[in-house]
Amino acid sequence: MASVSLINVCKSFDNVSNTVNNVSLEIADGEFCVFVGPSGCGKSTLLRMIAGLETITTGELRIGGKRVNDLAPSERDVAMVFQNYALYPHLSVAKNMGFGLRLAGVAKEEISKRVNGIAGMLQIERLLERKPKALSGGQRQRVAIGRALVREPEVFLFDEPLSNLDAALRTQTRVEIAKLHREYARASTIYVTHDQVEAMTLADKIVLLHSGAEVETFGSVAQIGAPIELYERPNSLFVAGFLGSPKMNFLAATVTAIAPDHVDVRTTDGHALTALVAPDALKVGDRVQFGIRPEHIEAGTAGAAHVFTREVQWVERLGESTYAYLRGDTHAPLIARLSASSQVQTGEQLALYAPPAKAHLFDSNGRALERLAV
Amino acid sequence: MPVVLKKSSRWRVLAAHIGLIIFIGLTLFPFLMIISISLRPGNFAGGSLIPHSFSLEHWKLALGMSYADTDGNMVHPPFPVLLWIWNSIKVSLISATVSLVLSITSAYAFARMRFRGKGTLLNGLLLLQMFPSVLALVAIYALFDRIGDYVPWLGVDSHWSLALAYTGGVAQHIWLIKGYFDSVPYELEEAARVDGATPFQAFVYVLLPMALPILVVVFVLAFLGGMIEYPVASVLLHDEQKLTLAIGSRLFLFNQRYLWGDFAATAILAGIPLTLIFMITQRWLVSGLTAGSVKG
Ligand SMILES: Nc1ncnc2c1ncn2[C@@H]1O[C@H](COP(=O)(O)OP(=O)(O)O)[C@@H](O)[C@H]1O
Ligand SMILES: [Mg+2]
Repeated sequence: MASVSLINVCKSFDNVSNTVNNVSLEIADGEFCVFVGPSGCGKSTLLRMIAGLETITTGELRIGGKRVNDLAPSERDVAMVFQNYALYPHLSVAKNMGFGLRLAGVAKEEISKRVNGIAGMLQIERLLERKPKALSGGQRQRVAIGRALVREPEVFLFDEPLSNLDAALRTQTRVEIAKLHREYARASTIYVTHDQVEAMTLADKIVLLHSGAEVETFGSVAQIGAPIELYERPNSLFVAGFLGSPKMNFLAATVTAIAPDHVDVRTTDGHALTALVAPDALKVGDRVQFGIRPEHIEAGTAGAAHVFTREVQWVERLGESTYAYLRGDTHAPLIARLSASSQVQTGEQLALYAPPAKAHLFDSNGRALERLAV
Repeated sequence: MPVVLKKSSRWRVLAAHIGLIIFIGLTLFPFLMIISISLRPGNFAGGSLIPHSFSLEHWKLALGMSYADTDGNMVHPPFPVLLWIWNSIKVSLISATVSLVLSITSAYAFARMRFRGKGTLLNGLLLLQMFPSVLALVAIYALFDRIGDYVPWLGVDSHWSLALAYTGGVAQHIWLIKGYFDSVPYELEEAARVDGATPFQAFVYVLLPMALPILVVVFVLAFLGGMIEYPVASVLLHDEQKLTLAIGSRLFLFNQRYLWGDFAATAILAGIPLTLIFMITQRWLVSGLTAGSVKG
């Protein structure tokens, strides 16, 4: 077990632009940290730098307090589970799992004892003599996880380990990984995913990464924090839009009044809404984005305070709830989660109540204003 | 057969089989002819496939034994055939082994390392290989003649020189093995690196075992090439005791006197080591070893 710290880490493949820009973060002993972000944002690159499979262009990486920038992967005592499993095809499952121990010169009996122990835990004892090609996708993934566990490393690295599994297996394996971490491993874990549900459910700490142009301007890290923290207090439009399913709704608006504990705005179609946020440097007349999550919207009466009306374009009835898709400011619709008994119909003008305590407000640069109600 | 066939295609299958059998007959005919020639008395190329009379005289000579002809004279083997075969095997084994080691390591560099001029070098290798080695005969002779002045065992009339000359043909093997290495996901070696392997251990324990089929192919090809090569051997070797079989057996065919029978027995004898090598290596020629390593 060891802590991992990154200090101003940058990675450039072409010496022109940074793929990973200025990442600083601290992962405590035994913590489960999830790197999440859109595809191509540099998650894998960051993970591979920690594993030692990519050089670090600038910055410093410490594992257990020791600088490891210039250590080979074999000297870092990390174990990695690859997206494509990367099992050795010419070796049996048992040999795959024991490969690292064999290289480390561990005695044969000790290897087979540890392999059998882990195999029992992962329920793959029956498969030990098989070659990887005789396994299903889910079984291969277990073997890959087992291969990492057997070595009892300081740090576990997972690169999108579930993305090749089907939906049911993904949920099941996700729960198992969480259980393994809580009950058994207790090693520091870094887990890469583009799936915000995995991030929310697994993480002690989420590191949400920017992609595209924002990497150069703001650095790779969008926000670091506990899942609930990122959900309740996203620091930017990007973070607010990334976490949560369905996504948060954004309404373009103009500031109409400012008080120390709330801000009043008017949407482009003339509805007055309020958010309980600290106004900071905001001035009357500033253009802002008013954010409200689908699950926080309630049915309202037209004309009442904090209510806006929009045309319903589509309705989804899921049984336990009803999603109403409403005309949005852009081509993306607004979404409201209503009760299962809602009688809402396509084409009607729906009045919706946006509770000020649940509202988010973002300035013209996309920065969030501090919420006062949570 | 897993796929159900239409009625009409059964006729096509039948026709194809007949065609194939005729083709096999055509390929087998020369071989049977040689066997037949080697088993009848006298040195005639023509004659019927099934010999009228039967004699082991050519085989005795090929195996280095003397025999008494009809007049009671002892006929001694004209040439040391078994020695030539051994020479061929020796040279081919040396050159195949050295070729394999060189081409494995170079192919690894070309497939996995990044260095300047890689593309140019690869294309250069291919281009050089395209010139027929016959064109270089003079150069090869001059080279080894000169080297022999300083390093006697590496001069003309040395098996080491010949093996070295054969090893010059590694370019095609490098391309072949590189192509195979390219098809093995690099992630596997990365996994090994994280598992604690040095680059060399990842190469030996992960990449090489997976490339085994292609390594066997290259070894067999290089060995075969050495066994049947004629031009280079013919300029480098002169001493009758040092000849390889390919050039030695030419001596059976004088301008005035063609010893077809002895030649035929020798040719069959020469095929035996090749057949053996192939039978031994065949079981490593299993393909599909990479299946199941990554999500497929
Ligand atoms: N070896 C490489 N050489 C050049 N560019 C690379 C290399 N590896 C990754 N990249 C680039 O870096 C960016 C981030 O890649 P990656 O870390 O794989 O993203 P993610 O895992 O978040 O989807 C991508 O734009 C990719 O094209
Ligand atoms: Mg990735």
